[in-house]
Amino acid sequence: MTAAELAPAVARLGRTLRERGIPVQLGDEIDATRALARLGSPDREEARWALRIALKVRHADWARLDAILEGWTEPARTADPVRPAPAGMIDGKRPLRAAAAMRSSTGEAGEGDAEPAEGDAPGYSPAALLRHKPFEECTPADLAAMERVLVRLAARLAARRSRRLVPTSGRGTPDLRRSFRRTIATGGELVSLARRARAIETPRLVFLCDTSGSMDAHARFLLAFVLAVPRAARSTEVFVFNTELTRLTERPAPGAIGPTLDRLASAVPDWSGGTRIGDSLARFVAEHLPSRVDARTVVVVLSDGLDRGDPGTLAGAMRAIQARARKVIWLNPLLGDPRYAPEARGMAAALPFVDEFLPAHDLVSLERLVPHLQA
Amino acid sequence: MTPEVRALHEALERHGYVADPAITTALFLATDLRKPLLIEGDAGVGKTETAKVLAAALETELIRLQCYEGLDAATALYEWNYPRQMLRIRLAEQAGRDAAETEAAIFGRDYLLERPILRAITRVDGPPVLLIDEVDRADDGFEAFLLEVLSDFQVTIPELGTIHAVHVPYVVLTSNRTREIGDALRRRCLYLYIEHPDVEKEVRIIRRRVPAASVELAGEIARFVQALRRRRLAKVPGVAESIDWAQALVRLGCAHLDAERVDATLGCLLKDRHDLLELSQGTLEPMRAEARKGSS
Repeated sequence: MTAAELAPAVARLGRTLRERGIPVQLGDEIDATRALARLGSPDREEARWALRIALKVRHADWARLDAILEGWTEPARTADPVRPAPAGMIDGKRPLRAAAAMRSSTGEAGEGDAEPAEGDAPGYSPAALLRHKPFEECTPADLAAMERVLVRLAARLAARRSRRLVPTSGRGTPDLRRSFRRTIATGGELVSLARRARAIETPRLVFLCDTSGSMDAHARFLLAFVLAVPRAARSTEVFVFNTELTRLTERPAPGAIGPTLDRLASAVPDWSGGTRIGDSLARFVAEHLPSRVDARTVVVVLSDGLDRGDPGTLAGAMRAIQARARKVIWLNPLLGDPRYAPEARGMAAALPFVDEFLPAHDLVSLERLVPHLQA
Repeated sequence: MTPEVRALHEALERHGYVADPAITTALFLATDLRKPLLIEGDAGVGKTETAKVLAAALETELIRLQCYEGLDAATALYEWNYPRQMLRIRLAEQAGRDAAETEAAIFGRDYLLERPILRAITRVDGPPVLLIDEVDRADDGFEAFLLEVLSDFQVTIPELGTIHAVHVPYVVLTSNRTREIGDALRRRCLYLYIEHPDVEKEVRIIRRRVPAASVELAGEIARFVQALRRRRLAKVPGVAESIDWAQALVRLGCAHLDAERVDATLGCLLKDRHDLLELSQGTLEPMRAEARKGSS
């Protein structure tokens, strides 16, 4: 089997994998083709290993890859063994049974997956009343006191020192390379030592806050914390969602968090309405994930996980977020109750893709959150 | 099995490594396609060992770069030997030598401290195996730097110029997944995930590494450890722990697992206080009995 003969079959496999949510790129397909070609006539087991290795399929996706490979069978039969047809022809040709079955099944799966992500469905639920409900749980005095604590808490976020050394004008360990270079100015005489010290690392944070009816009692509390954070962290993005995803661009001044929240409640559609966590997060993934989340970003989801949508959508979105973010933290106010078990369908679907699952029902629990945000 | 893969398999076995098709195929493809191999897996499944045995099988040198947070180019690539340079300048001054001559001398290869990556690409006698261990511990900036090195295999030193690889080394990267490796780096490598071995393979590994352990004892150890791995533990024991435990039991003169000595040596396997508390005598005893039963 030469690479040219294998390529169409591998390309088809690659497309199927992408449709099923296993990230495979052209470079990986080239590697896989080269690997299979190099192995000559591998047996089934060997081919499977070669594909796992060359396509760089993550361990978590192995079961899905195996299932797809069942339909793929040997490339020898899907590719034309006699004459390599021009690339355009291959798809035009009548595919053999295995490939046809695979294609039709992936077609369905592809459509099924894509639909909920695209269908934002404005006006999804008549029950999701556009209630513009003011917050009544906390007295203004409570909130003001809480704010001060939260601001202090948030300030601790920026205190982590990286182990990376950067040049500094103050104290630190001698930096011989720079010192030596400086001696050029003084004719080879070492007058002052250049120093370097550990860099201060500020995290990038993305908050996704659920403001649905079931979260109402906690939303204000959590948002007060979230809104206090931006001044401490290098880059913080706050999104709120219930049936719609809204990005908060406002950065309230200290002491102005209470009024800001009131304004938000009137500005955000459907504040305290129903929840579509999965769809909201899928929208976040589609629109904001590449630009707002990188390997240094900690993503915090504040929600009780009571989702009215499809758990599959939620799981898919969480998988995408976890694959890209440094860490995913899910704060659940219900977790403060010792009797609580994360059995709600949405919560259960999201949990496998969460690195830290923490309570968020009082100030103490938020204090415990801070170290997790730093790392 | 493809003949070349089989040959590599035999070479690995000759060097005391119990290989399985996954590992052999990955090593074969990585060496043949000349791509770096990224190995992931739980702690103690033998990721680093894989690189070591590859070097042994290829009869070449293993050059290891241990990653840690804050690792920088000066530790990974090269550093000038500043004290020695200073000394040379002073001596040159006293001898009244020409400045240009001194400069040429102090920025020569003699004053360059080669760190692992530079050493790997400048090795003259054949390509070495470059092991970049626990790459997840280095910060992501270092990952970006690796990308450049792994694609070009050249290092530019401002004072000296660009040094091209004499031989492109075989590169093995390992990761414990304390942090997800960036996609760009992952794409540049081949990818191998090593799982915990099954009973049969584990018995072979124990027997290979602890020859004094009998077949029965090795079997009991393997079954016991397998049972432990099925439980939800904070620190799942790896093969490294099984080997330690086998050595401990052999040293204590055990022919079979008995309750008393399992209890006394459990620290070889479980290295987390919570796990030790969790597994009380009551839960361990049935596991031990089950492991014993398999050998009779």
